[in-house]
Amino acid sequence: MTDSAIEVRGVTKRYGSVAKGVLALDNVNLSIPSGTVFGLLGPNGAGKTTLIKVLTGISDITSGDATVAGFDVRTQSLKVRARIGWVAAEVILDDDFTARENLWLQAKLQALKDWEPRADLLLRYFSLYDRANDKVGKFSTGMRKKLEIALALLHQPLVIFMDEPTIGLDVSTRRMLWDIVGGVHREFGVTVLLTTHYIEEADALCDRIAIIDQGRVIAQGTPSELKGRVKADIVLLETTEPLDSQRIAAIAGVQEVRAQGNEWTIRVSSAEAVLPLLLGSLRTESVRRISIDKPSLETVFLDLTGRRLGSDEPMRDIRKFYAQMRQARK
Amino acid sequence: MGLYVRELLRTFRNPFVLLITIVQPFMWLAFFGSSFANAPPSVIAVFAQGHSYIAFLLPGTLSTSMLSVGMFGSMSTIQDKRFGFMKRILITPTSKGVIFLSKALGGATRGLVQFPIMIVAATVFGVSFHLSPLDWAAWVCGLFFLAIGFSSLFLAITASSTDWQTPGVVSNFITMPLMFASTALFNGQYFPAWMTAISSVNPITFSALLGRAFVLQTSVPWINLGFLGLFAAVMLVVGWMVSARWLKVD
Repeated sequence: MTDSAIEVRGVTKRYGSVAKGVLALDNVNLSIPSGTVFGLLGPNGAGKTTLIKVLTGISDITSGDATVAGFDVRTQSLKVRARIGWVAAEVILDDDFTARENLWLQAKLQALKDWEPRADLLLRYFSLYDRANDKVGKFSTGMRKKLEIALALLHQPLVIFMDEPTIGLDVSTRRMLWDIVGGVHREFGVTVLLTTHYIEEADALCDRIAIIDQGRVIAQGTPSELKGRVKADIVLLETTEPLDSQRIAAIAGVQEVRAQGNEWTIRVSSAEAVLPLLLGSLRTESVRRISIDKPSLETVFLDLTGRRLGSDEPMRDIRKFYAQMRQARK
Repeated sequence: MGLYVRELLRTFRNPFVLLITIVQPFMWLAFFGSSFANAPPSVIAVFAQGHSYIAFLLPGTLSTSMLSVGMFGSMSTIQDKRFGFMKRILITPTSKGVIFLSKALGGATRGLVQFPIMIVAATVFGVSFHLSPLDWAAWVCGLFFLAIGFSSLFLAITASSTDWQTPGVVSNFITMPLMFASTALFNGQYFPAWMTAISSVNPITFSALLGRAFVLQTSVPWINLGFLGLFAAVMLVVGWMVSARWLKVD
């Protein structure tokens, strides 16, 4: 295996025709070192799951090249699939089967012969040994998720893909899974490629992160490197009336002003220093909302895209919708 | 092998599926088979080549029930796609051809479970059997070929589909013409020429005639077994090739 567990070079994925289709991945380049937890961070529809699909061979690549565990995903797909594990966003198990039977089936799919000692080890590691002969339909969500990770580890993969592994879970189960992901990485020495749209998850788990938006990788690095890119605080301001952006930009400490309708994204050197000056320049009754973001992955995404992670719909459009509704009622 | 065993375990661990599998053919014989119960013996002798319409109907019913085997096989595939399990399978070194083969064999095996139940049911309705072990084996073999053929056909047609409705629609489209344009339910000597033409190349006819010869102790058309084997082989090759190319979840 090379030093890179995953290499992605100029990968583009298009669904449908050039004219009417959707460009899900647009010239993506990534190099993921072996033995790391790498996070793909982005909003829903950014292309994270599509990238996992092309790397695992579920979807064809439209153009570009990619290797996983040293093998080409297009021409050596079977070799890739023998060396990867996969944990889905939704838990996918045979509910009518016991935990051990699910492991047996996975062993058959992976053409493993001497699988039982490894299965016992995994069942013990994930505290499922005592329930090994119970049908998994009776398991809690956390137990099902743990069994799914055990399935992914059964054939001793070099790389594990985890697609939004904690989506839809309650806070305590999510914390438990964070511990498991960290433990799996340490104990079993696998490279983990994790997709998430939870900032705190990427920050807590990942050695390196790529921020992906609209099919493009817009930044990558360690969490601290990414946060270091934004050497500023972000002030978000929403007003009831238009403002003079040149007047705001002239305030000492203001680095950049961006407007979307009556919503303002203002980069400042220090929010504490600039905020009194900013509020002094406004009619206070025109301020509808004001918030401050200190440097974090959230501010990195905000700085790069002008949007908050998870806010797919700009606020002004929602207000426009309500205004139209009120108009319609009249 | 693992996927094949999974198909069988999933079926036989579901009490409802098991119950329907047992009851459905029994009801066919009970209701449809009894519809000629009070017909004059002369009519039965001409129409059913003997003294019992149930004895005439049994091999035909077994043959037509292999059509539903195909539908269940493709519904199982679509269920695996919809619930993500197909993705789990495809992210392993298991080839698409092997997935297809497991589904086709699983469906065929499930279909053959009806055979002993039907034999018992027919015995209850007064049919007696005088078959040698070779006859029994050949009859089961013919039905197995038919089931493999139809399973493969359905899986090929629905390989790229993820829509629940597709197997049902395809089944409705295929089942009726294949069932009625065969000698499974009725004696073909009163068919119009165009239906006779369809019936003469219909695999259900070949299977029904083979089984009927064993039950009614008439001359056995062994060539039919060869035709059914050919049908299964061609459909397996077609299904394998179509699945390797078109079986997808994305």
